[in-house]
This record gives sequence, structure tokens and C-alpha cells, in this order.
Amino acid sequence: MAQIRFENVAKYYGSVLAVDKLNLEIRDKEFVVLLGPSGCGKTTTLNMIAGLEELSEGDIWFDEDIVNFMPPHKRDVAMVFQSYALYPHKSVYENIAFGLAMRKYPKAEIDKRVRDAAARLHIDHLLDRRPNQLSGGQRQRVALGRAMVRQPAVFLMDEPLSNLDAALRVSMRAEIKDLHQTMQTTFVYVTHDQAEALTLADRIVVMKDGIVQQVGTPDEIYEQPRNMFVASFLGNPPINYLEGELIASGGRMAFRRDGLTLSLNDDASAKLSGQDGRKAILGIRPEDVDDRATPAEGGAIDGHVNFVMPIGSDQFLNMKLEGKELFFRVGKETRHGNGEEVTLAANLDRLHLFDPETQKSLLWDQGG
Amino acid sequence: MSTVSNTHRYRERPRLPDLARKLVIFCASVILLVYVLAPFAWLVSSSFQTEAEIVSVPPHWIPHEPTLENFEAIFFYGEEEVTYESRTQADPASGGYIPSTAKDLLPAMWNSFQVAVAVVILNLLVGVPAAYAMAKIRFRGRNASIYTILTTRVIPDIALVVPFFLVIKNLGLLDSLGSLILTYLAVTVPFTVFILVSYFESLPDDLDKAARIDGCSRFQTMTRVFLPLAVPSLVAVVLFTFLTSWNEFLLALMFTQTPAAQTLPIVVASFTSDFTISFSFINAAGVVAVIPPVIVAIMFERYIVSGLTAGAVKG
Repeated sequence: MAQIRFENVAKYYGSVLAVDKLNLEIRDKEFVVLLGPSGCGKTTTLNMIAGLEELSEGDIWFDEDIVNFMPPHKRDVAMVFQSYALYPHKSVYENIAFGLAMRKYPKAEIDKRVRDAAARLHIDHLLDRRPNQLSGGQRQRVALGRAMVRQPAVFLMDEPLSNLDAALRVSMRAEIKDLHQTMQTTFVYVTHDQAEALTLADRIVVMKDGIVQQVGTPDEIYEQPRNMFVASFLGNPPINYLEGELIASGGRMAFRRDGLTLSLNDDASAKLSGQDGRKAILGIRPEDVDDRATPAEGGAIDGHVNFVMPIGSDQFLNMKLEGKELFFRVGKETRHGNGEEVTLAANLDRLHLFDPETQKSLLWDQGG
Repeated sequence: MSTVSNTHRYRERPRLPDLARKLVIFCASVILLVYVLAPFAWLVSSSFQTEAEIVSVPPHWIPHEPTLENFEAIFFYGEEEVTYESRTQADPASGGYIPSTAKDLLPAMWNSFQVAVAVVILNLLVGVPAAYAMAKIRFRGRNASIYTILTTRVIPDIALVVPFFLVIKNLGLLDSLGSLILTYLAVTVPFTVFILVSYFESLPDDLDKAARIDGCSRFQTMTRVFLPLAVPSLVAVVLFTFLTSWNEFLLALMFTQTPAAQTLPIVVASFTSDFTISFSFINAAGVVAVIPPVIVAIMFERYIVSGLTAGAVKG
């Protein structure tokens, strides 16, 4: 059982602000991913949960207790590091058993737990080896095992998969998800990899420069980004932006940039009605177009294909549109050639609009 | 022609330059070995020679008439009083110029040993926690403390003699082993801390964090995780502090006056200022003085294992 609550938490290193005004509640048994670029404060936040960093301001609660100055070994947390941080002088068995031994568990219980965890992680044949005799993937499993056997209330992971190769990363991702389901405990996971965040998280916390940008389910974060940073941090290739203005046309609102006019759907029109002439930035994700459907009225994007990049399942089109280069993702049923003129049907329900000044969403910013 | 030869030039390992290279390295090694070992070899060889043989020209690298009388003088004749009168009766040709202070050699060695062991142990007790704290704990004044400790090492010992003397005198420690232990610590602890700080800093911070999350306090993290990994550096520290204490001359000369507290270098040096001088005896004393450090070095040499930390983190 562990629910973690941050209340106005801030962390400074000298005069450098690492984390500011952090208010966040992580529910019991929830899988929360802290997502952001390097230096955004996500690891600092994780270290504060672990007790490895002291807070400069605010309080951290574990359930009903404030734990600001509780040392790490008194908190019921386990952590997996990007660098694995295995003890090089101990065998795999001793590495996994160390946390239990330090907590004075009986030998038989330690042995049982270590062997169970090793079997579950398929490293039971490696128990006598030293960490330097293991591959990267095996080391990461040992690090997971070391955290698992403790059966902690909170499981912390600091970019645990970043040092693994791409194929291994995908399979380990599935194992971590499975681990969360069987362990039924609170997971806090730090990554800069949006794919990991989207696949693993119950909720994602997007951070930048020490400040939380948005908290929400993967769908909310992806579909309703609150600002341009969140919108462009998730999605590969990233979302396309076009500067233009809002106009009223045919009883509803539309976005216009030179020759391109895209009508907004009912919800968006209602939210933005009466803002005729307002400057805005249109965000359109690469996959939110179709090259085979007939465009709805006010939903056509005409452009010039610069080049085509097949990616196996689909193809990316690099297009020149109203003086901007944009990326779109379309099916590969229709072959496109370089230099071709193409008309794409935009999915008008999935358009994003941002304020050029504040970079905040005009559609989803109401929540603050 | 030249193109052909160029094409095939590297088809086989170039033999002659390779051989020449090896030869140069071999000769250089031999020269270095001789340079380093010759004085030591002469020390050992001459300690088994009589005073007459030691001055023969050319010198005898292998004694023609090996004798143990110098060692007997150290180990067995310690109680026999040597005076000017008894000495002048000795045959100058056959040597036998045993210094009047010969009997002080073994007690001085024991003094040296006690001081060296105490300095080693206290160095570890003080240096390890200090180095761990400076390497892994962020606290106000951390860098300043590291620099301060390093700065003390750039001051030459001779400049410290007078202040040390005053402190030792006021503490009432003159002519005691305590004076040596105290001052040797002041000289060696900064070095110990410096060596260990750089080693602990080279160990990943994540290891420190992992240990603390696994349930270790700061102290347990140091003893259970960092110390076992630091064995090679600890051995270096042990050897350095032991040898420094064993060989130290200047401070020991200043602070000790009687055989009760004098250490080996002082007593050996005194042999050269006796009314007659026996070089073969001095060399025998030198051989005896070398034995303990050699034993310590052999004991700890096998712990100097490199690459122990490989595999802690992704390289």
C-alpha cells in the first residue's frame, strides 16, 4: 500500500531550479511514468521519492505520513537504475539477496525469494556468476530481481531500458508491464522515451524545465495535449505545426493559412466562436490524414511531395505545403512519387490549435 | 618493380624491424634493471663481506670469504659493550668495527614497526570515512575541504618541523613514539584521503544509491559496498603509509633523543657518526631494515587486483 503525494515540492541545486511547484498524487498500485527530455527534473523527482535527494521546499507524503527527511533505507521503496548499479564484488545471488539480508530476513526466506525471482526472470542459471560475466540484458534482469524480491510498496525505475538494444527494450517493456500486474504495487517510472511512456503508463506526467506540463492517461496526453511542448514531445515523427489564423466561414470556425483552409469540428467551433481573426498555430499529427478518402468539405490538404520514405508498414510523405515542410504518414496501398501533387483528407476531429504567444492549446487548456 | 614490391610489402610480418624493436626493448629493460637492482645487490653482497673485502678493488660482487659476523653483531652481540678501547684492539684488516650503538638496532626496528602499524591503522580509520564522505556526500564546503587537505601536502616537511616541535613539546610528547605517530599521521592522512577520494569518486554514484535503497545506512554503504571494492586502493594506502613511516628520518631526528623512542633510520644513520665506521655492518643493518617492508609488500601485493569494478555499470 502506498500512495505518494507531492505538495508544492521544489528542489534547487544552489541557484539552479531542478523541480518547481510540483503537486502530484500517485495513487496506490498505479503505474506512473515521468516523461521529459534530459534535465527536466524527472530523475530528481524520482530521487526525492526514494529519499536520495532532500527537498528544498514542500512536502512528500507516503499515505498519511510526511517523509521529507526519512532516509532511503527506512522507506519501503526499491529502485532499478539505468546503469543497473549491481555490486561488482557480489554474485548474482548475493546481489539479489542483499536488500533482504540487510533487513535481516531469515536465510530460508531469502533463498526462497531469490530463487523465485530468478526463475521468474529466467536468470536462475546465472546465480553464481559475477555481474561482469553477464550481458546487458541479463544485468538488467538481475537489477529487476534485486528490486522485486523486496516486495516494496513503491517500485522506482530510472530509465531502466535505455542501455538495452532496441529489440530487447521492446520485450523487456512487456515484462515490466507484466511485473506491474502481478506485483500489484505502485510503480514510478522515469523515461525520455515516449513509446515506453505510452505503452507502460496508467498515467503520464510530462515535465519540462522542472515544471509539470500535463498529467493524464496516455490517450489524454496524446489526443489532448495542453501545450505545444507536450504535443510535439509525443508522436513520431512529431506533430506538424502551421501558423495561420482563425476565420469564421459558413457558420463555423476554420483555420486558414494562405490557400489552405481547414474547417474545425463542432466542439472546436463552439469553443472558439467569435474569435475571428485570432492568430493561431495548427497542429496536425502525421497520421491524421488519409490519401485515399475523399476529403470532407473544408478538409483537403493539397501539397507537393518532396520525397517518400517507406517504413515497411506505411510510408512517410515529406510534403511542401504553403511554404512549410510537413511529414505525413499514409498507407502504402497508393504509391507516391517524388514531385507528385497530392490531396490528403485531414481528419478534422483531430486537429489541434495553439496560441502562438503562450503556446497553450486553444482547445484543451481549459483545465489549467 | 617498385609497385610490385610495394603491393606485397605488408603481406608478411616485417621480421627484421620487429626483431630490432624487441632487442631495443630488451636492452633498455636490462639497463633499467641493473640501474635499480645494482645498489641493492651491493647492499646484500657487502653485508656478507668483511670490512677488508668490502674495500677491495675491483669490488667482489660475490663474497670470496662470506661471513655472518655483521648479522651476529646485530642479533647476538647486542649486549656486549663496545668501547673505544675494545675497538682499537680489533684487527683493522679483518674489520670487526662494530658500532657502539649496534645493540640499539633491534629495539629501534621494533619502535619503527610499532609506529608504522599504528600510522597505517589510524590512517585507515580516519582516511576511509573522510574520503567516502567527500566523494559521495554533497555538503557545504565539500570542495573547500578537499582543497584544504591537498594544500597541506604541498608544504615541505622541513617547514613544518618547528611548528610540529612546539606542538609536540607542549603536549609533552617529546622523545616518545606518540610524537612520531601524531606527526606522521599529519603527513600521511592527506595523501590517504586524496587517493581514496579519487577512487571512491570513480565508483558510480548509482552504486551508492542502490546500496542505500537496499537498506544500508551511510556507514553500512561504506563498509559493505565501497570498502570491498576499494581493496586495491586500500593496499596502496597501506603500503604508502607503512613505508613512509618506516623510512621517515627528519621528524624522527627532531623529536626523539633516546633509544627508547628512536626509529630505525635514526639508529642506522648514527652508525656513520660513530668513532669508527664499519660499512659492512651498516650494510647488514640496511638489509635487516629492508626485510619488514618487503614482507609487507609481498603480503599485500596479491590484493592489488585491477578491474574488480568491471561490470558494476554499463561501460
